[in-house]
Amino acid sequence: MPQFERSRRSDRRHEDVRLSGAVDSPRIDDFEDMFDNAPCGYVTLLTNGRIARVNRTLLGWTGHTSDQMIGKPLSGFLNMAGRIYYETHIAPLLRMQGFFDGFAIDMVTASGEHLQMIASATDGRDAGGKTLFTRIALIKAVDRRLYERGLLEARDMAATGLARERENSELREQFIAVLGHDLRNPLASISAGARILGRDATTEKQHQILAMLETTVMRMAGLIDNVLDFARGRLGGGIVLARNANAPVEQMLHQVIDELRLSSPGRQIEAVYAIDAPVNCDRIRIGQLVSNLVGNALSHGATNEPVRVRAVTEDGLFKLSVANGGEPIPEAAMEKLFEPFFRGEVRASRQGLGLGLHIASQIAKAHEGSLNVTSTAEETRFTFVMPLR
Amino acid sequence: MGLRPLADLVTIGHRASNSIYVRGLGFHAIQRELIRLLSAGVSGARGSNGDSLAANGRRVQDMSVVARNNVRVRGTGEKAMVFAHGFGCDQNMWRFVEPAFAEDFKTVLFDHVGAGGSDLKAYDKSKYATLAGYADDVVEIGRELGMKDAVFVGHSVSSMIGALAVQKAPGMFGKLVMVGPSARYMDDDGYVGGFSEQQIEELLQFLDSNHMGWSAQMAPAIMGNPDRPELGEELTNSFCRTDPEIAKAFARVTFKSDNRADLAKVDIPTLILQCSEDIIAAKEVGEFVHRGIPGSEFIILEATGHCPNLSAPDEVIAAMKTFV
Repeated sequence: MPQFERSRRSDRRHEDVRLSGAVDSPRIDDFEDMFDNAPCGYVTLLTNGRIARVNRTLLGWTGHTSDQMIGKPLSGFLNMAGRIYYETHIAPLLRMQGFFDGFAIDMVTASGEHLQMIASATDGRDAGGKTLFTRIALIKAVDRRLYERGLLEARDMAATGLARERENSELREQFIAVLGHDLRNPLASISAGARILGRDATTEKQHQILAMLETTVMRMAGLIDNVLDFARGRLGGGIVLARNANAPVEQMLHQVIDELRLSSPGRQIEAVYAIDAPVNCDRIRIGQLVSNLVGNALSHGATNEPVRVRAVTEDGLFKLSVANGGEPIPEAAMEKLFEPFFRGEVRASRQGLGLGLHIASQIAKAHEGSLNVTSTAEETRFTFVMPLR
Repeated sequence: MGLRPLADLVTIGHRASNSIYVRGLGFHAIQRELIRLLSAGVSGARGSNGDSLAANGRRVQDMSVVARNNVRVRGTGEKAMVFAHGFGCDQNMWRFVEPAFAEDFKTVLFDHVGAGGSDLKAYDKSKYATLAGYADDVVEIGRELGMKDAVFVGHSVSSMIGALAVQKAPGMFGKLVMVGPSARYMDDDGYVGGFSEQQIEELLQFLDSNHMGWSAQMAPAIMGNPDRPELGEELTNSFCRTDPEIAKAFARVTFKSDNRADLAKVDIPTLILQCSEDIIAAKEVGEFVHRGIPGSEFIILEATGHCPNLSAPDEVIAAMKTFV
């Protein structure tokens, strides 16, 4: 048997090692020496917690003599924390499961210093399961324990910092939510006031000013909606959908585009619809998405080129794209386009919060759809795609 | 095995050990997962919480007292005997003692919130900042099970939790057994409790170094990898394992408690079992409790250490049998 052969050979080698040693050198098969001079500390405890045996390594590390240690309770050589831990955790676990591996424990040396160790303990039991003694192996772990301590401190610091940051950001977002909500009321008053004045308006100039007021109110209402949605999303509410597959989508798109045309006189918005299947979506939200995308195209696109909207149902998908001409979006900006508060270069009067595209992408996500962008010298096109279902 | 080069036996990156998994995840991913777990209530990681099966087979609702404290009712007797564990481990501390009373009593075992199989979601920092919070739980368990004239057996700090519960619910308990009690662990003017404030602080810090494999348990939970065979082994330390933060908080409330004034208010027959050579509750500390509780019985066991219920169950059972 090859296995047997190998073991015979190794036995011979074993002997060779022993024979080559000088008289006073440690012998490889001397188990007493192995116990005493092992690279770890050994201690054997009686069931009353008193030390029955201790090896030379541990005596060397602690500076105690065997006379000082044998017959004394181990707890006398631990620091107070170690004593409590031994009594409340180690001893019970040893009784319950017979072993406990890899616990930290501090011994106190003869000079009163703390020696940090990692230890494992095993109960020696008789056939009936009665504990006869406990063997403990100890390894010096000063550096390792120091390192652990450092990790724990770093963890605690990170946790504290994180908690503080979360608290701050939550406060900020609550503030945004409250602010957004409170801005709605005065806006409603302005809108109502403008409508009342509209009844009595006589001159062309008055009508123009009132139309401008309505436009501004609508734009501001849109901004507030975005702010509120953003804050709600961050506060954990997310964008909630009220889907309805039976409600017509096209009619809603007409309405949104018409409103945008009214509010941007002098700009051209071309719309093409080919919707011949029901779309299971939240129409108000899709309207908001379109409004945000077209609003973005009007702000950033070339003023002398039309904004082109195309909405179709094909291949089981609802596809909606908004395209505009003008300068392409810089490469660096592409990555951050859908992040909240991202604002491109734009003239001051059109400056928004940088939430429009972010909210649009969130609405797309809520519909299990996607919102992508391509931008070339010819055109910049945002495309929203969602399953019809 | 014959002589072989040691290197042959060492495998690089030992079988998918926790540390390797954790390293693979990346610090931020772990941090995110931890936050998720923490915000979902730490107990999510422990698995067996939520609704659990009570001893009588009835499925109990989430957050009921029975589920919260992992209450287990055994025994065939009429009168109830409640066993309460102390700081460190869980109701398994009574595994060698409770069976001896199962014939004559309805034995009731439970875990304090934060220990063993209790519902960690129920851990409320302010409620459990005093022993009174734990005593309230005991009273709630007693009410839930309709206990009258029951025996309360408390180990270590649960002796004092019992003393408080006795005051809170007159008639619920008829007899009190205290195993290794201390009315105050810290030294005070003219009182020797055995510990200084600094030593207790040292303990709280030291507990961080012995997480009982808590984080090792979290890692596989994060990975959602339950078929690793090593996990079976990890469950072994579970008798004494809990969230390190809760363990520290329980240590703090235990070792900083002062129930000296409550002793005189214990008005039911009380048995105090004192170990020889107990460094947590020394003989003087036990005698102080004995003097404080009017008419209490005081027995010094031959058992050493702080957990005679595990190391010398027969002695504990014998002493209790003559008392109850």
